[in-house]
Amino acid sequence: MTDTETKVHFRVVRFMQEAGLKLHMKSVPLATAAVIYHKFFRGNALTDYDPYLIGTTALYLGSKIEEEAVKLRDVVNICHRTLHKSKPPLEIGETFWNLRETVASCELFILRALRFKVVVVHPHKFLLHYLKFLQDWFDPVEWERLPIAKTSWSLLRDSYHGIICLNTKPQHMAVAVIYFALLCHGAEVPCHKEADTKWWKVFCDDININIIETIISELMNMYDTEIYVQTS
Amino acid sequence: MAKYDDLKFPYCEEETKYEKLLKIGQGTFGEVFKAKDRKNRSKLVAMKKVLMENEKEGFPITALREIKILQLLKHENVVNLIEICRTKASPYNRYKSTFYLIFEFCEHDLAGLLSNINVKFKLSEIKKVMSQLLNGLYFIHSNKILHRDMKAANILITKNGVLKLADFGLARAFSLPKHGQSNRYTNRVVTLWYRPPELLLGERNYGPAIDLWGAGCIMAEMWTRSPIMQGNTEQHQLQLISQLCGSITSDVWPGVDKLDLYEKLELPKGQKRKVKERLKAYVKDTTALELLDKLLALNPSKRLDSDTALNHDFFWVSPEPEDLTPMLSRHTTSMFEYLAPPRRRGQQPPPPKPAPNNDHHFERIF
Repeated sequence: MTDTETKVHFRVVRFMQEAGLKLHMKSVPLATAAVIYHKFFRGNALTDYDPYLIGTTALYLGSKIEEEAVKLRDVVNICHRTLHKSKPPLEIGETFWNLRETVASCELFILRALRFKVVVVHPHKFLLHYLKFLQDWFDPVEWERLPIAKTSWSLLRDSYHGIICLNTKPQHMAVAVIYFALLCHGAEVPCHKEADTKWWKVFCDDININIIETIISELMNMYDTEIYVQTS
Repeated sequence: MAKYDDLKFPYCEEETKYEKLLKIGQGTFGEVFKAKDRKNRSKLVAMKKVLMENEKEGFPITALREIKILQLLKHENVVNLIEICRTKASPYNRYKSTFYLIFEFCEHDLAGLLSNINVKFKLSEIKKVMSQLLNGLYFIHSNKILHRDMKAANILITKNGVLKLADFGLARAFSLPKHGQSNRYTNRVVTLWYRPPELLLGERNYGPAIDLWGAGCIMAEMWTRSPIMQGNTEQHQLQLISQLCGSITSDVWPGVDKLDLYEKLELPKGQKRKVKERLKAYVKDTTALELLDKLLALNPSKRLDSDTALNHDFFWVSPEPEDLTPMLSRHTTSMFEYLAPPRRRGQQPPPPKPAPNNDHHFERIF
């Protein structure tokens, strides 16, 4: 993937997350939408499709797949508004109906392009599970003071700006964002140094420090893209 | 539009790769056809059309649910989804494709077999049918899926005697209620004759037990040969249930009085439970009667789950479950309820009412 492509995808996912929040979509449907978007462009050229249309449709499809369906009408209105901040809101009329029809057709197209394989296992449930364990490990005052849960959740959400989600096992992703969050806050799992089995091994049998570091370096690359996107 | 005709989309094959032979089903969901692969002529499939008409919200969420669930559930006793095909968009369909779900073909459905008096099930064969049915339910329930449309017509049986749960059009994922927060699923599911009392009373926080009630009804039907409770309305269905399973009271079912419709519907009082008595005329086997009695428990929390049901003596005392292949090999024509003589088809149960579609309230405000 070229740098330009990475930047475009970053911007589109940011747009999706902004529109998704306005639509009151929860983390998992949003994550599904991002995965659909990235999977689509893994198999199709960016020059052939409007990424914002694919992004908008992926949001709609993600909400349906995760049983948190938002209305097509709202998706069209909100995405249009998010994309054209300086324009007046969309009126009901030909443009609205055309956009609506376009998203509906695009939905069928994405379903076909993904061969209807739309079930995604996300790191979210693993992350929650692991955090719950860690909470019991930590001194309650210390845990209260450190926003480990919040930071790791944000890191996970941000990770969808890139394609890490396509190549990473959900369990590994969950461990890596916790590891990264601990680093950010200069914290350490109690008795980590003395432990024979490292905490990540306890959570996930097939993970090692190299895998964790690879994921973290990919995350850092992604944050670098953010800087370029904002300055360019 | 003409220039688009030549575009090739490799992702999803055209339905013309199959040759339709016969219509084998018709329901609220659409049509089902028997078909064969044009390239591999011995490969038979069932094609289920995805109804797309008047779909204002794009690809129907129910079809998406069914596809998702079927992709997840790969099991010997669950119908196998092979792929999804489409028709070519053309001026004839206003450039709107139709989609088909392609399933492995099964020769019979249980309703069809039961309506044919020439098909006789021995006790050992009934055990085989029920153990496969419960096995299928055990599998889908442990994957946190509710079938929500158990009935004889949705139980398919291959010519090799393998039972497959089919039609996941109403199925959905469920979660166990947590922190006192109860689920709010629609209770307008399950064909009336197989609908359990909790749904009829308006429960929206239900679970796997709803499918086990259906399993009980189907099990009884293996002997009675027609559905055991054929109500015309919800009210009537509850009456029939009370007459068979006894009055619905908070004595046998603590908390039932809290259900939405408990006060609103008329429930027969003073009825004695007669499950074993009434079914004794058909079912001679006492362990079978015991199992039936426990599957048709009014209180869903007292109803057997599929695991416990599979451990019931019924499956472990002689005669043991016996392969259905030899019996089925005597019946070489396919039997589907849809194709059964009209005498039987005349008495179709009213299908589950679709949930009222309040979602589109504000769609067209002009």
